[in-house]
Amino acid sequence: MSKAPILSLRGLCAKVVDEDVEILHGVDLELIPGEVHALMGPNGSGKSTLAKVLAGHPGYEATAGSVEYDGEDILDLEPDERARLGVFLAFQYPVEIPGVSIANFLRTAMQARLEEEEELDLFDFQDELLERMDLLDIDPSFAERPVNDGFSGGEKKRNEILQMAVLRPRLAVMDETDSGLDIDALQVVAGGVKTLSAEDPEMTVLVITHYQRLLNYLRPDHVHVMVDGRIVRSGGAALAENLEAEGYEQFRASES
Amino acid sequence: MSESATTLLRAPEESGGPLPGLDRNAVEALVASGPPWLGQRRLEAWRVYEETPMPTTKEEEWRYTDLSKTLRLGELRLLPRQEREFAPEGAPALLTGSMRSDWAAAGHVVDLDGSVAHTDLEEEVARKGVVLASLARAVETFPELLEAHLATEALPASSGKFQALNAALWTDGVLLFVPRGVHVELPVRVTRWFSGPGRAVFTRTLIVAEEGSRVSFVDEALSADFPAQTLVSSAVEVFARRGAHVQFVSLQRMGRGAFHLSQQRTLADADAALDTLNVSFGASVARVDLNAELRGAGAHSDMLGLCFGEADQHFDHNTSQDHGAPHTKSDLLYKAALDGAARAVFRGIIRVHPGAQQTDAYQTNRNLILSPDARAESLPNLEIEADDVRCSHGATVGQLDEEHLFYLMSRGLTRAQAERLVVTGFLGEVLSRLPLGGVVEKVSGIIEERLRA
Repeated sequence: MSKAPILSLRGLCAKVVDEDVEILHGVDLELIPGEVHALMGPNGSGKSTLAKVLAGHPGYEATAGSVEYDGEDILDLEPDERARLGVFLAFQYPVEIPGVSIANFLRTAMQARLEEEEELDLFDFQDELLERMDLLDIDPSFAERPVNDGFSGGEKKRNEILQMAVLRPRLAVMDETDSGLDIDALQVVAGGVKTLSAEDPEMTVLVITHYQRLLNYLRPDHVHVMVDGRIVRSGGAALAENLEAEGYEQFRASES
Repeated sequence: MSESATTLLRAPEESGGPLPGLDRNAVEALVASGPPWLGQRRLEAWRVYEETPMPTTKEEEWRYTDLSKTLRLGELRLLPRQEREFAPEGAPALLTGSMRSDWAAAGHVVDLDGSVAHTDLEEEVARKGVVLASLARAVETFPELLEAHLATEALPASSGKFQALNAALWTDGVLLFVPRGVHVELPVRVTRWFSGPGRAVFTRTLIVAEEGSRVSFVDEALSADFPAQTLVSSAVEVFARRGAHVQFVSLQRMGRGAFHLSQQRTLADADAALDTLNVSFGASVARVDLNAELRGAGAHSDMLGLCFGEADQHFDHNTSQDHGAPHTKSDLLYKAALDGAARAVFRGIIRVHPGAQQTDAYQTNRNLILSPDARAESLPNLEIEADDVRCSHGATVGQLDEEHLFYLMSRGLTRAQAERLVVTGFLGEVLSRLPLGGVVEKVSGIIEERLRA
């Protein structure tokens, strides 16, 4: 018995808007609900571009192929429409929004999920927020701080995980490309994903990372290697260990 | 509508002769009705006014605001001071609505068209010697205090053409006096309503906070849109004696057609903390001149400003931070969000005078442009004559950042919701620096209302 994929990429090609150089040259990928996938690859291989294309970043455009989410092509949808369907992107570099508290931000995000005339019940929201913070072992005062303003790397990641916990996505794309150096941030991400996956076994996770270290904490079901805008190898967790030992050069060589 | 309220808000020309213009006769009429010291001060101010040319854009301080072409002083009419009594029934909804949100106050003043129509003060506060009064009445009841402070040290007629005009023609205003060591816990709230198109109103505020006292003062100006040009000139003089803590907030929510000229001077003695917040939402043209003088060692001033413009609104904030004593600190943050074809000018100067060693002076102006036709000019300046100081200034003019919007939209916010949130946060940062009961909520509410429109 096999479940229908939550995400299915076929021949996806993409580039930066207003530039001619293609970055993704035909990516094929299938994610089944509940799976944890890791996407690895050297710098500049297109991993972050893929994350941005999935979330609908206006600076990138798909030039060929398709992205089906839950059976529907989502390439024409705005980022907010994708988010409301359950797609979540944890940012590599979360943006600072001075003067806006995390609580206010999340309240607005939850309000955005309701029908136009519907008003979010603020007491329910407050309860939910506290419950999510408790689950992740985050102090309630955290929600009163302005979004990412002056946050450490670890705090920014904590904020991303908290948003994920409140928004309860069906598909979470974690762009952790360069953050592998900060051990605190790493543990926040891995711990958070594990907690939320345990709570919702149907949640699907795509972790994009440069280093093996994150995957030591977070055992993925599948590992994909991206080189020069293509997925060149897919396998189990062992593939990541092999990469740690052998590096990415082997794939470049096999390409040529 | 109660009869008293309708009478109060009706223009007197409907019940009597024509109103006077802004001329010598008007000054003389005011001189005749007051004590000699004040009469002399008015006449001298009028002389300065007549001798001072109307500022044009040739002058640096008026480079972007041309009142000589836009403000038609000759067509404006003065409304003499009237004995009025405020009745909430029948008063404009904007006025009563705004007052309703100000319930937590030590005292209230209601000013209708430049005449104080109501004052109240908590009994316990009054017992401690705090005075909250109509300035015109205080001329009789507190003559020495007024003679010593009114248009003398802080805003004499010699400060400029409009300062002189105000000193000659003011009809009423507010006096707040806080005796030595008295702490007034809740803010004093002043609400002003301007009803008449084509009028000029000259009002003054005098705040004297004696040694070690504490007080907050929130002054809100309201009107509907005017079919004809209307001038409100406001002169504000604030004295914080040694160790006093004073917060002054001006909230300008006038309608279109209004020219709002606010000249403010704050004088902080040793170890005093004298903080100001200027919020400009309304008027067609709003000009604020604020000079903060730190004249005693250890004095401190936070200077905050926020404006949100749309359509063809024009804001001009002209500030100076004058450090005249050692170990003084001033920290200025002015922000403007501009939609439509709105304009904002910020000109700020930090002056550190010789001998004002170990001064900290900071100045930041940030502008957020929300539409292709909106413009902001930012002109920061430093004039430092001491060598052991820490000063910095910074100015930015920027648009909404697409990366910010993408981040918010990736959480499900629509573009409009994301924009609203960024603007609210941008302006809200100013409010978070002056946590004053009721003001933050009120101003945030106005910003949100405006963003929804």
